[in-house]
Amino acid sequence: MHSSHRRRTASVQTSQARLGILLLLPAMLLLAGLTLYPVLYGVWLSLHHKHSFFPQQSWAGLENYWFLLADPEFSESVWRGVVYSVSTITLQIIIGVGAALALNQYFPGRSLVRGIVLFPYVIPTVVAVILWKWLLNNQFGLINYGMVMLGLTDEPINWMGRTYIMTSLILISVWQFFPFVVLAVLARLQTIPTELYEAARVDGAGPLSRFLYVTLPQLASVLFIVVLLRTIWMFTKFDTVWLMTQGGGAEKYIRTLPVYAYLRAFHYYEAGTGAAASVVMFLLLVVFAAVYFMMFRREEQL
Amino acid sequence: MQRIESVRQLALSVTCAILFAGTVAGAAVAQTKVVRVWHTETDPASVKAVAEIVERFEKAHPDIKIEAEALAWGDLEPKIQAALAAGAPPELSHGQPITCTALQQQGLLLPLDDVVKAIGESNVWDQIKQVCRADGKYYGLVHAAGTSLLIYRADWAKQKGLKAPKTWSDLIANAKALTMDTNGDGKPDVYGLTIPGDNLFINILVGELIAANGGQLFDDKNKPLFIDKRMIEVLNFWKELTTALPPGWEGHGYLDTFASMYGQKAAMMFQGYGRGASLIEKYVPKEMQDTDHFDVWMKPVGPSGNKPAVQVDEEPWMLLKGSKNPEAAKEFLKFFYKDENYIEYIKSVPIHFFPITKSLRQSAAYKEIPMVKRWGGWLEVQQEALDGDLAKPTLVVKYEDLNTKPYLMQVLGSGIIRDMVLETVVEGKKPEEAAAKAQARAEALIKKAGYAKW
Amino acid sequence: MNRRSAFFLQRFSLALAIIALLLFTAFPFAWMAATAFKPSQEVFYWPPRFFPEQATLSNIARLFEETRFLDYFRNSVVVASATVLLTLALATPGAYSLTRFRFRGRETLAATILFTYMFAPIMIIIPFYVMVRYFGIANTHLALVLGYTAFSMPFALWMLRTFFQSIPLDLEEAALTDGADRGRAVLYVVLPMALPGIIATGIFTFILAWNDYIFVRILITSDELKTLPIGIADLYNSSVIDWGMIMASGMLVIVPVVIVFSFIQKFLVAGWGGGGVKG
Repeated sequence: MHSSHRRRTASVQTSQARLGILLLLPAMLLLAGLTLYPVLYGVWLSLHHKHSFFPQQSWAGLENYWFLLADPEFSESVWRGVVYSVSTITLQIIIGVGAALALNQYFPGRSLVRGIVLFPYVIPTVVAVILWKWLLNNQFGLINYGMVMLGLTDEPINWMGRTYIMTSLILISVWQFFPFVVLAVLARLQTIPTELYEAARVDGAGPLSRFLYVTLPQLASVLFIVVLLRTIWMFTKFDTVWLMTQGGGAEKYIRTLPVYAYLRAFHYYEAGTGAAASVVMFLLLVVFAAVYFMMFRREEQL
Repeated sequence: MQRIESVRQLALSVTCAILFAGTVAGAAVAQTKVVRVWHTETDPASVKAVAEIVERFEKAHPDIKIEAEALAWGDLEPKIQAALAAGAPPELSHGQPITCTALQQQGLLLPLDDVVKAIGESNVWDQIKQVCRADGKYYGLVHAAGTSLLIYRADWAKQKGLKAPKTWSDLIANAKALTMDTNGDGKPDVYGLTIPGDNLFINILVGELIAANGGQLFDDKNKPLFIDKRMIEVLNFWKELTTALPPGWEGHGYLDTFASMYGQKAAMMFQGYGRGASLIEKYVPKEMQDTDHFDVWMKPVGPSGNKPAVQVDEEPWMLLKGSKNPEAAKEFLKFFYKDENYIEYIKSVPIHFFPITKSLRQSAAYKEIPMVKRWGGWLEVQQEALDGDLAKPTLVVKYEDLNTKPYLMQVLGSGIIRDMVLETVVEGKKPEEAAAKAQARAEALIKKAGYAKW
Repeated sequence: MNRRSAFFLQRFSLALAIIALLLFTAFPFAWMAATAFKPSQEVFYWPPRFFPEQATLSNIARLFEETRFLDYFRNSVVVASATVLLTLALATPGAYSLTRFRFRGRETLAATILFTYMFAPIMIIIPFYVMVRYFGIANTHLALVLGYTAFSMPFALWMLRTFFQSIPLDLEEAALTDGADRGRAVLYVVLPMALPGIIATGIFTFILAWNDYIFVRILITSDELKTLPIGIADLYNSSVIDWGMIMASGMLVIVPVVIVFSFIQKFLVAGWGGGGVKG
């Protein structure tokens, strides 16, 4: 079937490679011009000693990289970044898939609810963070009040202090980004042929086994891509984390890798070391993507 | 067919949008001289005052356009950095005094002597003239000064019969006495003390405390003095304070600590400023808006020190070399400091902004500002600190530090000092251990920056 | 358990799940709206009350009087819309080309697009600023539009590509055999079918441009050119945390977005579904 398909398409997929390249060219030029140069500049910078303000610079070779390897703060930030990414992605997937399953059922007012569930994803990060900081405020916040009333805690908790700030950050990030998963999964759910469910029902499968043996395998492909994208985005997430610490918030305890790179470049004034940290972040993601493709790609294509 | 129509419209709109954006870009590069002014007074009242002065100035100088932008501290640094990298710095920017001298030593600043001359050199307070000065030239001119204050609830202190703390142990005793359980549930609802836990303010406070304890942060060879006995005393003092601090205090920002005061959840604020008076007038009931309820004390002295120390918030204007219209920028500054304009700015946060000119401070118009009348006591304590040379900029213990220790700005940015405090006070490490770690990190930083002489 | 009670149990748990979901997503917004209508002293009431005692519009009034909220809003709309148009104008032919033509490196190209996402945006901002300065477009909306377009390009290409893949080639061929040239075949056959996907891609692009903070902060200096996220962040950073006014601004930001989204929400879902998102 594959080969006949290919033959049939030959007339449309002509050898007009030139036209194809021409159509793609503007997009590629923009991408190359506006992101390739900055990326290469970053790599170049990572090989130099450069003060962020002052003009002078000198060749450093790999010194900035060796420095990072020896810096305990750096390894802590990598670890924190992993904790943050893994926990937010896991929760996003669980809540997102659950929500999508519920929203795929018919009930009155469904499209309104679907719209509402998407809100957190469409508001500016600044608004999301400020809103949650207000809810979580330890002196005047509603959540603390509720928790004290319900007897969950004796006195208001400072959600921005050492003990809870990572929890708060994870909560806000999950709230903000799980609708992305809902969107992707909901779309896929709508394309699953209903015959599959009917067949399963005839075979006597209950709701749980229908989910496990019919729905989940159908979702595998979309989950594959969602996990990949979200991993890249969460691991490089800067604004949500950084804004959490503005105007109060124990930055030391949520210093993830992108924040570390930012601090090195803009607060330690070590532009070279900051650039090196972001190159390392890039490499870690490339390694992750390679391993991820090796582990899951084949099954996913079955 | 409608869909295809919309696709066509789409293509058309794209072209229009691109053309439009191009025109806007072209229009921005007009013939007038543009002066970019970046400042860090983001209070709406101050922003408004600056806008007002700009408007007046532009009326008098139609060939100059001022683009004033108010930025939070965290946003200013990357912005300056990007501008310097692109070779297009703004004409004027605020900066910490330590940043000012560091930039000056790299030859990135232009002198402001013309402006000082226009104001009248003798008209500027001597204390101000020490900031960012090199080779007899003024490379920075402070926009306004304000010292840190120990703000306290005068009504509660009176009830408990508390006096002004002379020593750190007095302060701890007061803080403990003012930590109160008002509803009888066995948990305090009012904490004796509130302090911010963010990087800048912990650095400010450590600088202040080490000075009040007779110590220094770095010796003459630039070697950190973090494992010195005086620093250990500072850390131990901070640790003791936590008995009177709300749990999770390290998550409080500067403005949260003000909120604790006017929200009646704290009785003393160690790192307060005159700005607090404005906030009190906004948020507490009318009958409490006075010095009988909210007053200030001079700060106490450490066990190894002999006189109090406070921080002075006095960011200078810096004129950046390589900017397009430095002369026009100087004209703007001269205009800014004229009494009739400057008072508008000072009035926006009157108790925090001390005028740098004697003419304004002694003028009737200044003394007539209603808030100056109401909170005179707060101004006296600040005046005492400034006149007695007790007030220094962030991380500066002696004024020479500004010129001899250009790495202070990196130390501040690195968060090394903040980490040392949090590890001791929040994570429960031994002060000696946290100090040793910070010592090693600071030594590495200074070596890397090329200033180690030990 | 008979069929009927099983059915009710199922409906009941569905209802519970929906309520929990609504609480989680919508409640914060409700609190935001409630705060936006409270006078400043009431904001700090303890214990807090949900509904304002004396509802006021003063927060909203101050927002319009003391800040340039309307300017920021208009700028955000202009910048985000222009970004969507430019991105679609470049990505649609690009993605079409990736699915319909064969040329060397086509597959690797698609994969490397993903790599650009792996480099932290915060590190790109400074060289990017140097570039726009060089071209003389710093402090313009054009610089923002170009930056956002570059950043949304990988995702846009990818999403549109999976979409075009799902459109049967037969239809195009039929048009071609009927004597239409390629341009007409695309215009009349392919694009209409791809429209839901194009709209969905447009929305994701819009969100990226609408939300950005750091690019505006660095690239824009003039107050009259700033977008909403910066405007709101400055309100928050200013030395008086005016919760009432900040919540009012947050509320006004989402109201129009909510109206638009309730209309096009079905395209979003369709956009993902059409392509099947097979990667």
